Amino acid sequence: MTASAHNLTGRNGPVTPGVAVLPSTEYDLIRAHVIASLVTVVISVLFGITVATKFTFPEFLGGHGWLTWGRLRYNHTQGIFFGWLGNAFLAFFYYAVPRLANRPVWSRKLGWFLFGIWNFAVVLPGWALVLNGISKPLEWGEFPHVVDVFVVLAFIAMTFEFVLPFLKAALSDLYVAAWYIIGGIIFTMLAYPVGNFVPELVPGARGAAFSGLWIHDAVGLYVTPFALAIAYYVIPATTRRPIFSHFLSMVGFWLLFFIYPLNGTHHYVYSAIPISAQKGAIVASAYLGMDVILVVTNLLLSLRASSGTASKDVPLRFVWFGVVAYLVVSLQGSVQALMPVNRFIHFTDWVIGHSHLAMIGFASFIALGGIAHLWQRVPGTHYNERTMNWSFWLVATGLTLMVADLTIAGLVEAQVWESSAPWIDSVRAAGSYWLVRTLSGVPILAGFILFWISLVTGPKLSEASLSAASGGASEHMAALEDDSPGSVIPGWSSWLSYAHVVAFGAGVGFFALSFLVLAIIPGNQLEREIKQAAPVTMATLTASEQRGRMIYGREGCAYCHTQQIRFLAADVRRFGAPTEAWETKYDFPHLWGTRRIGPDLSREFNLRPRDWQLTHLYDPRLVVQDSVMPPYPWLFDGSPVRPTQEGLDVLAYIQSLGRARQLSGFEGRWLASSVESGTLDTAMSNEPLARATAPAVPIAMVGGYSLSAPILHPAADQGDLQEEANRGEVLFAANCASCHGFAGAGDGKASASLLPKPANLTAARFSDERLSSVLWNGVAGSAMPPWRQLPTEDLRSLIAYIQNLNASGEALRTQEAAGLGKALFAATCASCHGVTGEGNGPTAGALAPAPTNFHLKKPSEERAWDVLENGVPGTAMPPWRDQLSVDERRALVEFVRSLYGPPQENDRQ
Amino acid sequence: MINLIVILTSAIILALLLVWWRWPMFRVWIEAPKYSMLRQENRFDDQDKEREPATNSSSSGEPA
Repeated sequence: MTASAHNLTGRNGPVTPGVAVLPSTEYDLIRAHVIASLVTVVISVLFGITVATKFTFPEFLGGHGWLTWGRLRYNHTQGIFFGWLGNAFLAFFYYAVPRLANRPVWSRKLGWFLFGIWNFAVVLPGWALVLNGISKPLEWGEFPHVVDVFVVLAFIAMTFEFVLPFLKAALSDLYVAAWYIIGGIIFTMLAYPVGNFVPELVPGARGAAFSGLWIHDAVGLYVTPFALAIAYYVIPATTRRPIFSHFLSMVGFWLLFFIYPLNGTHHYVYSAIPISAQKGAIVASAYLGMDVILVVTNLLLSLRASSGTASKDVPLRFVWFGVVAYLVVSLQGSVQALMPVNRFIHFTDWVIGHSHLAMIGFASFIALGGIAHLWQRVPGTHYNERTMNWSFWLVATGLTLMVADLTIAGLVEAQVWESSAPWIDSVRAAGSYWLVRTLSGVPILAGFILFWISLVTGPKLSEASLSAASGGASEHMAALEDDSPGSVIPGWSSWLSYAHVVAFGAGVGFFALSFLVLAIIPGNQLEREIKQAAPVTMATLTASEQRGRMIYGREGCAYCHTQQIRFLAADVRRFGAPTEAWETKYDFPHLWGTRRIGPDLSREFNLRPRDWQLTHLYDPRLVVQDSVMPPYPWLFDGSPVRPTQEGLDVLAYIQSLGRARQLSGFEGRWLASSVESGTLDTAMSNEPLARATAPAVPIAMVGGYSLSAPILHPAADQGDLQEEANRGEVLFAANCASCHGFAGAGDGKASASLLPKPANLTAARFSDERLSSVLWNGVAGSAMPPWRQLPTEDLRSLIAYIQNLNASGEALRTQEAAGLGKALFAATCASCHGVTGEGNGPTAGALAPAPTNFHLKKPSEERAWDVLENGVPGTAMPPWRDQLSVDERRALVEFVRSLYGPPQENDRQ
Repeated sequence: MINLIVILTSAIILALLLVWWRWPMFRVWIEAPKYSMLRQENRFDDQDKEREPATNSSSSGEPA
């Protein structure tokens, strides 16, 4: 059969004489895509619920690499993007394009080819490859490049299948839904390769500019146009009334395609990307909000006098909900882009709530409405209205709960991040919200399953339903025939004769404009800045670090840990110097991230020792009690002290982060003064080359304490002291017990794999100076981090509690022993500990951890004896049992214990 | 950058409003697709109703 004959007879059955010849509709392909969309949405939501559950139960399914949080998270979003929405949109295209273009789609064979590619070369292999650790850490582009090739191929096939039928359509015949379909396909076909391939070729901040384009285009120019096409189709087709204004719909279309691509950089506000690009994106975001108000107003006015239909017709209700959600989420997005709001809520769960409102509230609701609408019109099918009604309310309830919960969680997290509380407090604060989020996913999953059930359990006799669906059509249409104007203006069609020319030109033109404004121009500016600012010799990553970087990417680490310290006082106080473009010149692709569940890792170089990092990777809760980070046991051979090569590679990479910055020797005085005066953000807007030193790096102590640390004294009053100690006990259990043990004996869960071992706090008495210094700066050369971010009263409470752990002090037993001990100390210990025992001997400066200052720390007899017997593994302290007799060692124990307290003048003689 | 976005956006909107205000025939022309879409939808519904008894239990099979 020839194509023309095919079209004349249609592919759906014989043509009745007297009925106008209409193009055929590929109902088999519609059914196939609908089924594929529902199968994939259920799987994708299950991925989502699983990753959400891992926030509350981090060990859940945690023993295998292919079930780890990062990989499942990749599959959750890509499954929604390609599997669910992609198939739903394709089903709708097969239904709507023949009606809108008055021509069938290009080819049925191409349709099945597209179905095969989309599901069996993109979705399923993409999921499988990601689970096997083959992926790329680009947001909305996690499927690996081998899959990307098929995605591009699929969009080329879509262009033939759905755009070419419009080729012969005059501009005046092109309904707004068709404009959105054409524009979305053309634009995504161009933007997808840019967002998925270019960041692999253009490093760091410059790559992030391209990546930001795709992050936003994926939602704005793939999801949004296709969802709006459905809304613009379903509303008039159901109400049997034309939309309120086609003119307004076209204004909305053109502004959307012009403005949306310009929004991309608003994901990187306060970053190293040139401020002009950031502000341009912010202004474009504000314009986008106005455009959406216009679009939604037009759509809601199209429902005027149809409120009864909207309440009774479930598909229309789905669409109505989606339109309202579109307004809310878009205005929310515009506000989020504004700097005063963005500085507060960016990286928090607020943004996750926002994206769920966009992808479920807006896109999924409209897609569900579109599927339900066309399902009524597919021969032999009809949905079960009661079940579908339940589906609507379940998804709506779950989504509302989820968005409200995540929005509040984001505000809570932001509040903690702005404060001086330790990072883990924000994780603890979000815990209950994460549990509610997980639970809210259950009704959403149930809703999708019920939707599926409603499609397969509907009545089979669709003739009646078709009549019902068309009910009331005749009178509206009669009026329509009378009122509808002619569609051609003489003279106009001569130069705007073909719609595709305009649509194609606009798609390419706007894409090129956004590419130029948000990627090329800022990229060139960044390149110049990098050339000026980068050190002459900047080491690239070693082979091991490079491999570690790939593992870091495949496990989704960048989705919880940013590598982007923003030019904000709160960021700098907590993490150190802001990330500058030159630091990322070797990052292929960038790993800046857009979410923080764990802290930023940009300044990890020299921050923590190897044993802490390995223990943390093996099981984060060994060192951070309330961490929700997944464990990575497959990077180890059964123990944190036996990392595999992959484990060592990840360690090498993490410990390289911030190395270039620290070795570059940039001064931080200017920035430090800005932080102090609270003018950082304003100053940084005008000074992109601001420098800072990382305040969180442990500072080596000489003589047992650091001059940079304030000396904190617990309360003098006994009652207040007890109160402080009680409070300190709670703080100790929350922050210190995982290493030091709950009793402070240095036997916490992490102690087995840390070297040097965590201090046994019961075996020595520590002075205020010593504890203040340790808490303020950490202990260089050990796993003890700085805790200066805790409020001063918390640090005082900890000091009060720790000093309670060993409150005993004994007088020196004999003067004779004291004399022997003093002589021995001068002969064997003074080179490190100093003549007076202040930890300031000639070699002390080169040792990390620094030698003990016995005036600030009084070890118990047992501890002192043990140290002399066995040394301190992981430090420079050797065992002395072979060099000193038992009596000599006993005398030394007595002597060092006698030193505690302020040094006496005669000690120096 | 900001100036560019503001100028271009304003120009697009002003051009559309100008055309809308200056040429009444444009209003007729630009609104036409919303009617043709509904006419087309009705044609398909009519055809489906005609064919429904014959194709109710089949999918998109070729015509006999």
